[in-house]
Amino acid sequence: MIILMKQVPDAEEIFIDPVKFTLNRSQARGIINPSDENALEAALKIKDSEGGEITVISMGPPQAENAILECMGRGADRGILITDRVFAAADTYATSLTIAAAVKKVGDFDIIFAGESTTDSGTGHVGPGVAEFLGIDQVTYTVSSRIEAGMLIAERELEDGIEVVSTKPPVLVTVLINANLPRRSRLRLKIDAIKKGVEKWDHDSLNLPPEWVGIKGSPTLVGALKIPEERKRESRPIKLDEIPVLVQDLVKKGIIRTGDEA
Amino acid sequence: MSEFDAIVVGAGPAGSSSAIKLASSGLSVLLVERADPPGSKNVSGGILWGNELAKVIPDWEKNAPLERFVVSKGTGLLTDDSLISIDFRSKKLENNKTGYSVLRAKFDQFLANKAKASGATLVTGVTVDKVAFKDRKVIGVEQEGDVISSDVVILAEGANPRVAIDSGLREPIGDRDVAIGIKEVIRLPETTINERFNLRGSQGYAGEYVLGFLKDGVKAGGFLYTNKETISIGAVINAADLRANNSTYSYNIMEQFVTHPFIAPYLEGGKVEEYSAHLVCEGGIKSVPRLSGDGYMIAGDSASLGFSNGLVIQGMNYAITSGIAAAEAAIEAKTKGNFSAASLHSYDEKLALNYVLEDMKNFKGIEGVTWSSLMHKAVPRIAEKVFFDMFYETGEPKRHLSEILLESIAGSGMSKSQLILEAYRAARRM
Repeated sequence: MIILMKQVPDAEEIFIDPVKFTLNRSQARGIINPSDENALEAALKIKDSEGGEITVISMGPPQAENAILECMGRGADRGILITDRVFAAADTYATSLTIAAAVKKVGDFDIIFAGESTTDSGTGHVGPGVAEFLGIDQVTYTVSSRIEAGMLIAERELEDGIEVVSTKPPVLVTVLINANLPRRSRLRLKIDAIKKGVEKWDHDSLNLPPEWVGIKGSPTLVGALKIPEERKRESRPIKLDEIPVLVQDLVKKGIIRTGDEA
Repeated sequence: MSEFDAIVVGAGPAGSSSAIKLASSGLSVLLVERADPPGSKNVSGGILWGNELAKVIPDWEKNAPLERFVVSKGTGLLTDDSLISIDFRSKKLENNKTGYSVLRAKFDQFLANKAKASGATLVTGVTVDKVAFKDRKVIGVEQEGDVISSDVVILAEGANPRVAIDSGLREPIGDRDVAIGIKEVIRLPETTINERFNLRGSQGYAGEYVLGFLKDGVKAGGFLYTNKETISIGAVINAADLRANNSTYSYNIMEQFVTHPFIAPYLEGGKVEEYSAHLVCEGGIKSVPRLSGDGYMIAGDSASLGFSNGLVIQGMNYAITSGIAAAEAAIEAKTKGNFSAASLHSYDEKLALNYVLEDMKNFKGIEGVTWSSLMHKAVPRIAEKVFFDMFYETGEPKRHLSEILLESIAGSGMSKSQLILEAYRAARRM
């Protein structure tokens, strides 16, 4: 099994620079993207019952190593960090392509688990994108998954109900944040992880044309980032018996309409 | 054969200093910390007094993330309407070692990274359940059934030493051993801080206050320290008092402090960036447990090595000193190949020789003074009345100080004999 994981800044510690209008992540600590924790847990559950090896793949700056070690502390067996300046500023297209190349290099895999989306960009593109570049099936928005007679049985949480899908690996599965309760890391496994270390793969080791990766391989352009202006809202305390007056007031101001007009 | 020479539980000032000393002496060290990154769960008033750190990081004054150098020290009594304070500023303070304000989230991470760079295996984001025993000797730590073995375990878990307690290595913490600390970090421009506290460049102010305005018999102290671009302000509240007064809440006390008419102007326009709460060691020497035994030592706040006499609060410095002493004892034990209680007792001896236990013994019973009604109720009231009567112009002839003083004592709520007795006790213990 393979887990696609991204280290993201803790959303509680990010603020928007009031002058430059950019996201200031400098003071935020790096954490495992929340739904990637659920993806890892989904794989660990299968490992618990069926056995197997779990490889975590992440793309990002060298500090992302910490998040990979944390995954290994929870039970992943191998960690790979795709890291190179050339990969910087990649959009979801170039990122999917690069990660797919790394998955191919790992080679032997049956199920790839990925979080449904990341908290720092929230596109939900990368998991499905990797599946497309690899040319394999994908099951998105899952809340549970198990193996039965060589088939992956997954429940997808959709707007109009739960859809149960049965599919034959290789397959890429994206996992929702409410799918499970991620386990905590264990001291023994973390010590082992630190001893084992994280493999670092750079541009050379993936052998991709330079124009396919990083900013050069990214068709997306970000025009601007703006903070919506806060609207001033009026407020005043009212007593219960003033409600009819308030309603009349709101009707007069055109904020609400009465049934008669409709 | 153990997996590690030493396991250190907790990467705060005590644990990290210990791990740096151990690892740089060639011992294999596992440093375990529940927070990720280290420091993110830690709170302190934030003044690092003295120079103990130089023993393990000689260039700490250049490279550690320090905020400001304290050149101005304040002590104040707050009542509803008044602030009576003494600010000590001296050129002598600027030349001598006093202390630096630090922000623990940055500082502890710096120390932990130093330990890692010295060769320690640093594992963050993991807690330890308890120490592992074999034939009543500590042989490592245990987590979820796994035992990680070591020749010696150094417990430096801070003011809430769960592992030491759960392993039966120290008594549970009682209301008398700790106070509750609440702290806010408030962001303000550097120039504003400098103007408000009359400081230049990286000069800093550190103030302690008696919160004499509190009702309901709850006693609390306040502190205010300047950082580069933030102010650390907080309250330290007596835990036993809080328990006895169900209607008083710690956050209300904090709120009363930060909105006091003579404190609020310091903070005006600032943005609260952090809000935290933590236990503070206040028990004095009587709370200090057995410091070492077969295969283990306890350092820093875990061993209740912290103290306050109302003018100075000691915590981090004792932590660093005791952490280093524990490391030295472990290194000697390693050379002798003997980690028995008798061998590790050299840790206790080292602490007795340096100032830590000496301070704590000298100031034995000081917690009875710093938390006395005399300090928290009578003194602020008497001081307020004395100053008010001296400065308030009535058009009548001025009276003698002794007259005013006697009248103020009469209005303080304490009898004269009680006051004299408590004042005598206080003077002896401070």
